[in-house]
Amino acid sequence: MRTHPSARPAARSPRGTAGRSRLADATGLRPRILGAVLLASLSAEASAYTLTLTPASPQTVYLQVGVGSFTKNYNAGGVPGNNTTINVVSTSVAAAAVGNGTAQAMTTDSTAAASNLDGFVFCTVPGQLYIGGFYRTTGATTAAARITATVPASLVNASGSTIPFSSIQWTSSGNGDAGVEVFPGGTFVNGGAQSIGSIASNQWAESCWTFSYLNNTVPAAGTFTGRVLFTLSSP
Amino acid sequence: MNHSPLPTLRSIAFFFALGLSIIWAPASHARTSIIDDAGTTTLEPTVRLRFESAAPPRGGANNRMVGQTTVRVHLNLAPWLKHSGRIYLALPAQPPGPLTAIWTAEGRLASGQAHSGNRTLIYAGPITTPFLEDVLRFQFMVDGALVRRPFPVTFRFEFDED
Repeated sequence: MRTHPSARPAARSPRGTAGRSRLADATGLRPRILGAVLLASLSAEASAYTLTLTPASPQTVYLQVGVGSFTKNYNAGGVPGNNTTINVVSTSVAAAAVGNGTAQAMTTDSTAAASNLDGFVFCTVPGQLYIGGFYRTTGATTAAARITATVPASLVNASGSTIPFSSIQWTSSGNGDAGVEVFPGGTFVNGGAQSIGSIASNQWAESCWTFSYLNNTVPAAGTFTGRVLFTLSSP
Repeated sequence: MNHSPLPTLRSIAFFFALGLSIIWAPASHARTSIIDDAGTTTLEPTVRLRFESAAPPRGGANNRMVGQTTVRVHLNLAPWLKHSGRIYLALPAQPPGPLTAIWTAEGRLASGQAHSGNRTLIYAGPITTPFLEDVLRFQFMVDGALVRRPFPVTFRFEFDED
């Protein structure tokens, strides 16, 4: 996009000799200097080319809980996609152990062990569930994107009996990780929205969760299920 | 043996003056003129910037955004016809901050790159035609942290006559 297409460089003297006679003609000095300044200004604008650069992908968020979709690893040029799979974390409690207060390890049907960032085997399946994502945005550092879990009040079996969701907890780690996890361990609430963690702008964040069932009540027999929805929200 | 101090003083004065003349000898800089590029056009006047990587790395080290466009350059060199000199592509320092332009040319001009506040030689030699044309395929790179909204980028062509 040209800024001033009508001006022409003919106004400019590439030889630069126009100023030689000015000293002998003091009376006309000011108008001529002003004129020269004006011409120089016009020709400078006419001889600069201007493009407009527009951020076309200003904001992207990606959240993966369990399996996810990348065309290939990010560091090999991979692009994230949608994956509608709902992974299950489960455990079976032996009749003799029901309600004895011994936490029961849970496993997942997720096969996501490697990080889509670089293919590094970050989690150990089936004992751990991968949770990770990124928040891409232009401009200076902004507030972090937040991850919220929407948790039902209870897990329910076919006959309507319930187990409180607060009976499920998790620890957080990752192969090669040290220090505080970005998505730390916790216990589900009994219904409602629960903050899980956050992702700073232009950061990739990931953890591996190891779930367990606290097993401190004696519910009715059956298979109890419940679904937790994870949401990533950018500011 | 006695010596008159006068010749010595004269010698000192001579060498001192010589030294001054060397120090103050004006450097022979080529004069820079801005080339009329009024015939220059682009196929895509708006350059769409995208993150170089769709996802950020751990720690967020790569926020670079890139965008490409093609510019058909038309330079009016008539004022320097039958003279020799050098043509530069100058990328002035400008908002929103440091910017890099990389381009490939089709042969009349040289491919290269320039950073904000610098210029790069793209031609050297005699000016044998009043106009010089080439097609430059640009890639612009800028830190995404500096970019929030569309912004103009200006560059120009400069001529240093030999």
